Amino acid sequence: MISQWLTQIGLVVRLEMRKTFFSRRGLWVYLLAAAPVLIFLAHSLSELSERKERRALNAAHPVSTAALRSVTRGMKIEDVVEKVGEPFDKAEFRNPRFSFDMYRYTDGESVFQFQFRNGELVGINERDRDTIPKDSLIFAGIFQFFYLRLAIFFGCVGVFTNLFRGEMLDKSLHFYLLTPVRREILAIGKYLAGLIATVAIFCTSTFLQLFALSLHFDGSEISEYLAGPGWGHVAAYIGVTAAACLGYGSIFLAAGLLFKNPIIPAATVLVWEGINMFLPVTLKKISVIFYLQSLSPVVAPPDANMPALQKLLVTAAEPVPAAWAIAGLLAVTALILAVAARKARKLEINYSTD
Amino acid sequence: MNGPPSDRIVLENVSRFYGEVLGVNRVTLSIPPGITSLVGPNGSGKTTLMNLITGLVRPTRGAIRVLGISPTDPERLFRVCGYATQFDSFPRGMTGYQFIYSYLRLFGMGHEDCVRTTAFAIGRVNLGEAAHRKIAGYSKGMRQRIKLAQAIAHNPRVLILDEPLNGLDPLVRAETIALFREFAGEGRHVIVSSHILHEVDTISDQVILLSNGYVVAEGQIRGVREEMREHPMQVVIRCSRANVLASRVFEQENVVEVRLHADGGGLLVKTRDADRFYRALNHLALDGVGIESVAPADDNVNSLYEYLIGGEESTR
Repeated sequence: MISQWLTQIGLVVRLEMRKTFFSRRGLWVYLLAAAPVLIFLAHSLSELSERKERRALNAAHPVSTAALRSVTRGMKIEDVVEKVGEPFDKAEFRNPRFSFDMYRYTDGESVFQFQFRNGELVGINERDRDTIPKDSLIFAGIFQFFYLRLAIFFGCVGVFTNLFRGEMLDKSLHFYLLTPVRREILAIGKYLAGLIATVAIFCTSTFLQLFALSLHFDGSEISEYLAGPGWGHVAAYIGVTAAACLGYGSIFLAAGLLFKNPIIPAATVLVWEGINMFLPVTLKKISVIFYLQSLSPVVAPPDANMPALQKLLVTAAEPVPAAWAIAGLLAVTALILAVAARKARKLEINYSTD
Repeated sequence: MNGPPSDRIVLENVSRFYGEVLGVNRVTLSIPPGITSLVGPNGSGKTTLMNLITGLVRPTRGAIRVLGISPTDPERLFRVCGYATQFDSFPRGMTGYQFIYSYLRLFGMGHEDCVRTTAFAIGRVNLGEAAHRKIAGYSKGMRQRIKLAQAIAHNPRVLILDEPLNGLDPLVRAETIALFREFAGEGRHVIVSSHILHEVDTISDQVILLSNGYVVAEGQIRGVREEMREHPMQVVIRCSRANVLASRVFEQENVVEVRLHADGGGLLVKTRDADRFYRALNHLALDGVGIESVAPADDNVNSLYEYLIGGEESTR
């Protein structure tokens, strides 16, 4: 009997895969997955272009990093120019009460901005070139704030709610219900098909995001990073992505069975996940984001410049050990799948009212 | 007709409501093998009854067994039951061949068996040439046939067909009816719904008449008719001296109306007791009245339908 169920699950998965991967209705899921890849690609291309420009400027206005770092507040414009030469760019503002000058230099990697008030240096801004540690924090922020909470979340809404609800709308669900397949088996088969599709789409996206982000770094920097925590981070991010599909997938499979309009449960879950950090510990655990944040390899972000709200959203309040997080996520998923299977067992075809 | 219960489709006091809307109400049936037609106007509950039998909807009350199997057990039910629904939608992008092949694979058949059985089922409904075309491009009649192929593909003991003759041309319709008869001839159940009355009239072993969610009559066509004593039966008599016969016939207690044919060569009699009338007719036809033919005028589904359905509706 079990081997027959496994065969049937395999067949349902095969039948569903094509619909899930090549559905016109699911095009926006690909767009959601592609969006962060495009963002990181644009960032890398922009960074490569800026670096090329900085190197050209440095060639025209040569100055060393050491010389630029030796400039200190309180120096006069003439002293600064004597020390590091003419800037590649300068701006000035004059009025009867004071004058303001801004000189910009580059050592080919970073941009230094010196601000003078009445001819005296009052401010130094250094815009460092991007580094892997810096970019990994940016990635962690985008991954947790946008990718997990929005892209994968809504991608799973699109894929998993359609597994049953989409076929109700197409009036084609009866195809399965006329076969000698237990409804629970059907639910599991459909869930696995959705899971394979979302994991393939979003894990590929995660990998491509990391690849796109790495494009503007030198080979030596990348090698050094990969030799250190790099591969671990890559594996962890891909794992968290798969775990997000696993957890959110179960929720939206159940939502597609329990609700006619998936927007209502999606909005409810979005709010629930959003307020997770404010909930008591027991309730925190009845969510997906709690475990995903605990599994994320980089705690994002310790950056003091990040807005407080964003910091709150991307920081796990009380992270649990990875093993507990995986076990908790699997428990939540299993519980929700059990509810979905129970609902599937009582599923009726009533297209006219669906 | 009284086979063991496991040979029958049994509904016991089955009701189904969609909220406050009645689907079917207090339906009790014991359907034997053979061709059974569900007849009734739109909204009378035919499709609901079929969906209940196949577990696509659950009864609000009552119990159903199909050859002893509960419709809540699709794993067993659909090994003995094939259902061609009225729904005209199919999984996206499938060809007719893929549709049947995938369906059979879910039964656990191996590839080779599936290929052979799929080809056989498609051949039985004469769709061989279109098998590898997408169903989305099929005509209405072809979609009906591919649904029929799906329903018969696994050689079920119970075949349930919702309006299966819709959209079929006369030739295919005849072939399809022959297929039903072949199935029924092998001792299987064939349950057909239709609103094309003359079709079910000629193919049915028994009819179930539905109106507004209620079974208003069931059984063999003649049997159903005879159970309705209060409804006069019409008999057409072609004879010589029809006016003489008419006056004699009208003296019978069981006769409620007599009409002479316009050509004077016959009469239409309405009687409350057909058996007594036929017995009396042997005596009434003496004395120079030459009877050419006697035939029931309304012993078919159409007249029953008109009486049961039309009559009820006209009195509303």
